[in-house]
Amino acid sequence: MLKEKFLKLGRTFKEGLNNFFHNFWLSFATVSILALSLYVVSATALLGITGNSIVNNIKNNINISIYLNPDVSEEDMTLIRQEVASIPDVVSVEFISNDQALDNFINNTGDDPVILDAIDEIGDNPLFSSLVVTANNTNKYDGIVSRVENSSFTDKINSINYARNKEDIEKINVAVEDAGKAGMILGGIFILISILITFNTIRLTMYSRKREFEIMRLVGASNMYIQMPMIFEGILYGIFASLVAVGLLPLTTKFVSSLAGRMISQESLHAFYFQYLWIIFAAVLAFGILLGVISSFIAIRRYLKI
Amino acid sequence: MIRYENVGKIFPGDFVALEDVSLVIEKGEFVSVIGPSGAGKSTLLKLLYAEEQPTSGQVLFDGRDLATIKKRHLPYYRRNIGTVFQDFKLLSEKTVFKNVSYALEVAGKTTQEINEEVPEILDIVGLADKMEKYPNQLSGGERQKVSLARALIHRPVIIVADEPTGNLDPNSSWDIIKLLMKINDLGTTVILATHDREVVDKLNKRVVALEKGKIVSDCKKGKYVC
Repeated sequence: MLKEKFLKLGRTFKEGLNNFFHNFWLSFATVSILALSLYVVSATALLGITGNSIVNNIKNNINISIYLNPDVSEEDMTLIRQEVASIPDVVSVEFISNDQALDNFINNTGDDPVILDAIDEIGDNPLFSSLVVTANNTNKYDGIVSRVENSSFTDKINSINYARNKEDIEKINVAVEDAGKAGMILGGIFILISILITFNTIRLTMYSRKREFEIMRLVGASNMYIQMPMIFEGILYGIFASLVAVGLLPLTTKFVSSLAGRMISQESLHAFYFQYLWIIFAAVLAFGILLGVISSFIAIRRYLKI
Repeated sequence: MIRYENVGKIFPGDFVALEDVSLVIEKGEFVSVIGPSGAGKSTLLKLLYAEEQPTSGQVLFDGRDLATIKKRHLPYYRRNIGTVFQDFKLLSEKTVFKNVSYALEVAGKTTQEINEEVPEILDIVGLADKMEKYPNQLSGGERQKVSLARALIHRPVIIVADEPTGNLDPNSSWDIIKLLMKINDLGTTVILATHDREVVDKLNKRVVALEKGKIVSDCKKGKYVC
């Protein structure tokens, strides 16, 4: 009995394989659109993951700089530093002197002769000394800033750069969310289209084999035996489409990781992709097969009258 | 073995195909069902292999009402019945061997069994030397023999032949009829729907005549007009 089941399974699989290659161009078109859908969905998912990691990375590196007026004495600076450090939730306070800031600036601009000339022209160091404050949680900065602004040394402070960072974070958050939403909508549309197209392909297979089904029924083929080849055909579409989609993904990740590379330090998306290649492949494959089987199933339920 | 009890069949559009038909066919009988086109011959046969369901009455096989067979069990029931049609119903892209082996494949027979049984049955119908030919390389009579071989491969208890000679010349027709008689001699019940007067007269077996969906005569050893 089990042997008979395996025999039938093998035969129906072979039949599905025949269907797949028999109408090669139809299969090609179906696989292409299914692959495109899988690609859009998986690329969106990867972009979402990257976006989140960028935001987290920035959130982790976030700090505020309190710029002090140039006339503040060194003792005052030490006092201010101690006072800031005593605010609850402050993890660290780093003092950066104006000379250090100038060195950093020159290093960052890469010894640009125009900038060096401009600094020479000014003659004096135009930068301020600052205190770089890190809190234990990004939500605490509002409180810390207001404590500093209402402190006794507020007149010695030139500016606090918190507001600008805050806007950047908001922007990135919104961008990531928007990209995610757009990707979901686009992915949804593509999935729908690909189900319709796969469904239609299976329907065409059924139509071209109408006579064969009639004969199969007459010679006593079970419904399962008639349906299985089409389910296998759907599975094959899924498998080939996922192979194509996974093959296309490195192109995107390469592009995205070079863009994102400026924002995320070590976590390049490309590396991430190769690290989780098998998991991504398995997920895309499972999703592809699921789409193929769903499409076949709908076509069979709707059009195969047994 | 087969019992039609007050069977009626009305198709959509109020087309009455059969009306109050009662008929008993015993095991091993050879029954010709005759009548003009549209008399209900094909419908009568379709009810037997459960391609159609009666609108009223019952069709029983070995005492069992066919309407009670679950849909998923129908394929197993149909393996009891071999069917032969006027248009052969062969798959043109498959060889003679494949056309016959197909019926065994769907039933889950092993390749070894298939390789033993198919040549055997093709030998019985006289096509042992044409196994690798395609249907379009065969004459009408030969095609019908392939169809008959396929019908026999499950060793059915009944052979249902719906106008099997309709597309054949007299010689080929007689070949097919002789094969049906041979099968019948071996114990298989044969039900033949035809309007070929010559064939019926030569057979000299039971004849059931249908007209406008009703049985108008049933003769034990009949001619076309009994």
